[in-house]
Amino acid sequence: MPIYSFYIFDRHCECIYTKQWHEAERYQSAAAATARRASITSAPDGVSLPQAPGRLSVQDDAKLIFGVVFSLRNMVRKLSGPDDSFISFRTNGYKLHYYETPTNLRFVMLTDTKMSNLRAALHQIYVNLYVEFVVKNPLSPVEHPGGVGVGVEMFEYGLERFIKSIEAE
Amino acid sequence: MSLQPPTSPFVPFSPNPALQPGTPSSTTPLSIAQKPPPVSSASLRYASTRRSIYDRNLNRTQRAELSKASFAFLFGEMIQYAQKRVSGIQDLEKKLNIQGYSIGQRLLELLLFREGRSAKRETRILGILQFIAQTVYRHLFNKPADGLERSHDKDDEYMLIDHEPVVNTYISVPKEISLLNCAAFVAGIIEAVLDGSLFPARVTAHSTPTDQYPGRTVYLIKFEESVLEREAMLAGGKP
Amino acid sequence: MVILSVMILNKAGGLIYQRDFHEGLHKLSSNDFLVLAGTFHGVHAITSRISPVHGSGGLEVLESENFRMQCFQTLTGTKFLIFAEPHQPNIDVICRRVYELYADYVMKNPFYQIEMPIRCEAFDRHLMAYLKPKQ
Repeated sequence: MPIYSFYIFDRHCECIYTKQWHEAERYQSAAAATARRASITSAPDGVSLPQAPGRLSVQDDAKLIFGVVFSLRNMVRKLSGPDDSFISFRTNGYKLHYYETPTNLRFVMLTDTKMSNLRAALHQIYVNLYVEFVVKNPLSPVEHPGGVGVGVEMFEYGLERFIKSIEAE
Repeated sequence: MSLQPPTSPFVPFSPNPALQPGTPSSTTPLSIAQKPPPVSSASLRYASTRRSIYDRNLNRTQRAELSKASFAFLFGEMIQYAQKRVSGIQDLEKKLNIQGYSIGQRLLELLLFREGRSAKRETRILGILQFIAQTVYRHLFNKPADGLERSHDKDDEYMLIDHEPVVNTYISVPKEISLLNCAAFVAGIIEAVLDGSLFPARVTAHSTPTDQYPGRTVYLIKFEESVLEREAMLAGGKP
Repeated sequence: MVILSVMILNKAGGLIYQRDFHEGLHKLSSNDFLVLAGTFHGVHAITSRISPVHGSGGLEVLESENFRMQCFQTLTGTKFLIFAEPHQPNIDVICRRVYELYADYVMKNPFYQIEMPIRCEAFDRHLMAYLKPKQ
């Protein structure tokens, strides 16, 4: 089952890491859908962008995603108390998984709708990859403004391998 | 049976009007029928068979059913329409009563026609009330009324009980006007049937909710004095 | 069947109905509920924008440790939010049924004003009978 994207937000609500997978296929299917519609409505020529209409940039997407998980997390806490935590939501197109560390780091993953709960997987990414290769890295800064020091080679490599293993399940 | 299109709006639905004796003043419509066809008959819409719904036998739709949802929407609109033009609850109930009344008048005629040879003119209070609780109720709501009682303290009052009036199924009356019962519409139908059978009466609908039946409604039937006098005479005349 | 709470939002995101059926969620003030409904309305719109795939709708199921919320949006834009226990099966069936009751006892009630808060005693009664049947 495909995993679409992965985000880390730090305690200043800033996006410090983002990674996308299967972009090409997704855009192809989206472009095909647009092309089909364009052939009906005869859109102006020269529209050959690989992007779906109204698609946002990765940065804007990250901001919106943070807004959504932040609001939903507050909503859940308000409704059933501070010990409850928001785990995931899904639409008819994708599923969003959420994990929050006690230090207010937030891990978000967007996957296919049929994916089972990935909270444990996000926790593992935090413990086995983020803490190991980013926090314990002596060359990495304490804070990561603009994502400095997160996307290190070891972390990237470990993440890639881990994602592959989840997708293969 | 002649298949000629009707020449006047007075053409009777029965194929053989001569077999219906006692039709009052049958000469007047006939004299009109001899005149050239009035314009109004041309405006009736005919199906491709050149027969309008007026040419159909009245018994044909005897077992026909109606969508409850479409009735609910229509009735809802009727109430909203009436509500804009009234000053209070009583006024609104009166409006609904009048709307029901005109239906009841026609309904009585139709039901008696359909009963055919077995139809009889009720002369006793109990008879006409049974007719309403059984025949009228079955025709309108496909079930008999849930109860028929006589008032304990007043001789001229009878109560027809409906555990859940069909017309009220989807209606929740707001607290401010909780006295209103939209079954006043049905009360109007009952009143017209009674009046039409020469039992002049006043019929009102009252909500009497119980735990089991939150929509329970009692139709209070108050007969005029003349009815009771006649009833006493008929009862006394018997051995 | 344990349904904790039901909310109904109108097209504009205004809360027009809220009722608890079992213990489990906090009791909020009506104002807090209104704010919550407004927030959710916005979030729902954004969730279809951030979709990584083409043509996704808005949020349908939300899971937390203590409850599971199903959001059912009608074609006319009214939203039904059903809060249930985390492993409650068949919530979509329940949503449909609640929608049916709404169509019957709210929309067919001549005293109900469209888009306004729902105060229909017959709707309350039938919803209660469906979601919390007396044993």
